[in-house]
Amino acid sequence: MSEVDTGVEEQVGGEGVEFRLIRVIVVKVLQESLRDRWFWLYTIGFAALAASLTLVAIPDSSVVLSGGFGRTGAALVALVQLVVVLMAISLGARVLPSERESGSLAFVLSQPIGRTEVLLGTFVGLGGALLAALAAGFGVAGVLSTLRDASVSASVLIRLTGLSWLLSLCAVAIGLVIGVSQRKVGAATSTALFVWFVLVFLGDLGIMGSVLASRLPVESLFLAAVLNPVEAFRVAAIVALDGSLDALGPAGTYAVDTYGDRVGLIGVGVLVAWVVAPLTLAWLVFRRGADL
Amino acid sequence: MITIENLVKHYGRTAVLDGVDIEIADGESVGLWGPNGAGKTTIMRCILGLVRYEGSIRVHGIDAKRRPKATRRLIGTVPQELGFYDDLTIRETLQLTRRLRRAPAERLPLVIEQVGLEQHAAKRVRELSGGMKQRLALALALLDDPPVLLLDEPTSSLDLASRELMVRQLEDLRGEGRVLLLCSHNLEELAMLVDRVVALDNGRVVEECPPSQLADRLGLSSWLHLSVAGGDEARAHELLAAKGFNARLNGHGVLVEVSAQRKAVALGHLSESGVEVLDFEVWRR
Amino acid sequence: MIRLWFAGLIVGLVALVVPTAEAAEGVPLQDIVDATPSGGVVTLDAAVYTGPVTIDKPVTLRGVEGTVIDGEGIGNVIEVNASGVTIEGVVIRNSGDRLDKEHAGVSADDADGLRVVDNVFEDVLFGMFIRSSRDVAVVGNVIGSKDLFVARRGDGIRLWQSSGALIEGNEIGDGRDTVFWFTDDITVRDNSISNGRYGLHFMYSDNAVVEGNLITDNSVGAFLMYSTNLTVRRNTVVDSRGPSGYGLGLKDMDGVEVSGNRFEGNRIGLYLDNSPSRVDMNHTVLNNVFAFNDTGVMFRPSVKRNSFSENAFIDNTEHVSIDGGGQIDENVWTIAGIGNHWSDYAGYDADDDGVGDLPYRLDDLFSDLTDRHPELRFLLGTPAARAIDMAGEAFPNLRPEPKLIDTAPLVSTPDFPEAPSARGEPSRLTVLAASAILLLVAGAIVAAARPRGIGRVA
Repeated sequence: MSEVDTGVEEQVGGEGVEFRLIRVIVVKVLQESLRDRWFWLYTIGFAALAASLTLVAIPDSSVVLSGGFGRTGAALVALVQLVVVLMAISLGARVLPSERESGSLAFVLSQPIGRTEVLLGTFVGLGGALLAALAAGFGVAGVLSTLRDASVSASVLIRLTGLSWLLSLCAVAIGLVIGVSQRKVGAATSTALFVWFVLVFLGDLGIMGSVLASRLPVESLFLAAVLNPVEAFRVAAIVALDGSLDALGPAGTYAVDTYGDRVGLIGVGVLVAWVVAPLTLAWLVFRRGADL
Repeated sequence: MITIENLVKHYGRTAVLDGVDIEIADGESVGLWGPNGAGKTTIMRCILGLVRYEGSIRVHGIDAKRRPKATRRLIGTVPQELGFYDDLTIRETLQLTRRLRRAPAERLPLVIEQVGLEQHAAKRVRELSGGMKQRLALALALLDDPPVLLLDEPTSSLDLASRELMVRQLEDLRGEGRVLLLCSHNLEELAMLVDRVVALDNGRVVEECPPSQLADRLGLSSWLHLSVAGGDEARAHELLAAKGFNARLNGHGVLVEVSAQRKAVALGHLSESGVEVLDFEVWRR
Repeated sequence: MIRLWFAGLIVGLVALVVPTAEAAEGVPLQDIVDATPSGGVVTLDAAVYTGPVTIDKPVTLRGVEGTVIDGEGIGNVIEVNASGVTIEGVVIRNSGDRLDKEHAGVSADDADGLRVVDNVFEDVLFGMFIRSSRDVAVVGNVIGSKDLFVARRGDGIRLWQSSGALIEGNEIGDGRDTVFWFTDDITVRDNSISNGRYGLHFMYSDNAVVEGNLITDNSVGAFLMYSTNLTVRRNTVVDSRGPSGYGLGLKDMDGVEVSGNRFEGNRIGLYLDNSPSRVDMNHTVLNNVFAFNDTGVMFRPSVKRNSFSENAFIDNTEHVSIDGGGQIDENVWTIAGIGNHWSDYAGYDADDDGVGDLPYRLDDLFSDLTDRHPELRFLLGTPAARAIDMAGEAFPNLRPEPKLIDTAPLVSTPDFPEAPSARGEPSRLTVLAASAILLLVAGAIVAAARPRGIGRVA
């Protein structure tokens, strides 16, 4: 029979977040992810697409004299926008409802661990799993690019990986918001799919519609686009790949003229905000203690 | 020690708990009894902080609402619906829980042995039978030898042999200053395991007494369905009615309402009068 | 090379028969030149001579390794006002920096037959400013500029009414333009021109050959205006990324042949504005590579009479666009049954003759939108833009009029002549290292999540 030890917490009068407990959840989530066939499906799919883009998109070096990674990079950017965002947002959206349905969330929360720790651990764990997936995909693409004589720069490769990870963290955080507010895996998955569709397609299509209908000024166009995390990622990635947005027409030129070298930072800033804000929202909802 | 004061819980407009007060002393073993939907499980979930509620719960003086983590540190629980990570093995599940609870590593083999799962430690949770899962849950609850155990229908999914084993294990856990709070709708089981029963109905406490007195206090009854030999149904019916039983004929046999803890009295009357009872079934309401 | 050697031989022979001055250090170079008779050769030591200096008679200034002529920041370093002058093998440095006075390393007027050979120009506003001089040769020089904002720099080479010039094998960097005004019959060959404003700029200069040049990282690669009868072949123009980053821009040009060039990574590979301008003139664009440009070829509206054949359009964001929208259907994309290679050609070649059996049609719905609403280029390459294109493919009635139809597309890239290469060695090792780091990260995360991870005694 153990002593009734209420520990330091009672003296402090609050319940601090324990890093140790977060770590336990992180490892658990990582482990679950690596056993999840969806995770592997996405990871292998991403790596295969990235690798084949690298091989296919780099043309014959006897024809083309300068390096061709710019184009591969652009294709990889679109791939990340489509696949990685979908993967991350659905992983993030499914994890809590599925634990709810299986009862394992109630099991964990019956232990001496706070909801903040569970949520943070889940976020970090999924973030780790996605970093593994992205690093593997880009690593394979990088190795293959050296086989094909493409002058990929190492720093571009690393920066593209980092930005993709940041975008995937946004998507996970958004997914978690869906996950804390939906009780059923099915509902969470379809909501995630819808949000993905909005972020990846509807946002841009809406901008196109506005331009066609009302001659949206370029500064509004740039702002409307870059506030979308998927577009913010693209802006930052293009800056990382080409060094400039000037390929993107008047709105790109506007952005370069107005913000100069800070355009890439703006993209990164928007991404960071899209990690922090949804995560905070998810935390507020989850901490409020919806019934399990 | 657990103090529950004016506990109220609504699901939508429905009040599941409607002002529940329960006081449990150190070392006391208490059963929550009541029909399905009476609010037994909800009380446990409130104590664990799994649902939001009004009112106050204190466990060893700790406000469960303000400090749910510290509260849960004191509590081991065997829930009714067992949820684990299906892909983890028994050992991994125990280790995960051990790390969450900061239990010493030496406890691990002890609890595995205590619930008799040594042979199965490498099995994945998804491969386990209901009984093994129940035992795993008990092992997890005992990992850091907590001063409070919450057990929600711990024998519900067990076959007869496992049920006996579980009951015996639970009997061993009584006393030593440990608080045991046990939900069950099985009065016989409660009688073996608890000092006191709190009866709930529609989210209110309707009775508190030792388990042996509960049936009488609540006027609990069961229905017996009797098969009698030689077409004596009509006679059996008359005899029972004459003795003041609420009885009626029903197709192939006789139905008779009996006091929950004196079911055999009706049978005794019939055999005294020479009506041979071939078989009986207990029909609960 | 032979020509150089031959020229050197002649100079040497002349030196044997004319008086020669040995220049001593510390003496102002002007005094040495003044003391040298007409037709003489001044041989300079490995020393610093002070300028500025004016050469007003036919002499040869010849340096050795380490010979420097320092203008001390005053005006032009060397002024030439006579025919038959040669400046060879010296470092020319430190001109004035007045853009309105056009301070130059070598400033020449009426200097027919001027030869500027194998010199290094450092810290000069203009490299060479040559006016009204026939048949000059500017060969094998390395020409830098002053460390100023690009618009305040001078031109690496500026020729004004100086026909018959040979500009060959120079390495021109960090200046403003390399520009020819009213200068006919010149040859610009095998130069490398980088980090300037206009890599090459022709104004009213006819009958030129521009070949084998490597033009990289300029605001505009080569912009040819108001000139006739130019041959532009085997040049490599890479990464022209200024606001109007044309690899090659043709404005009001007639009689231009563009062949065997590589246009890669420019904002616009080839820009056509009113060229050809004469109704009796046709231009051919033959056997060039357009790769990785934002736009491969951009037409101003109503540009006509250009024929394209045996070019390769590879992974341009847009292969062909029309500035402001409109039609370019009076241009031709197939000559004598031979079209161009398009990297996004989706047809097939059943009879295996190298020519696709279906025509290549450039009718992307999204490009059509961006031609009319250029601000939508911001969304180029997004999944939404691709979705628009796919909608166009799925529903033919949404499809715009094709910008162009190539009836005989080449299924594989044709052969191209050699062109100067802009590419350094790809740094495979660092890429491999970076990839290895990424794979290690992935591996470490997987390892951290091994079941053992949970079992570890905390």
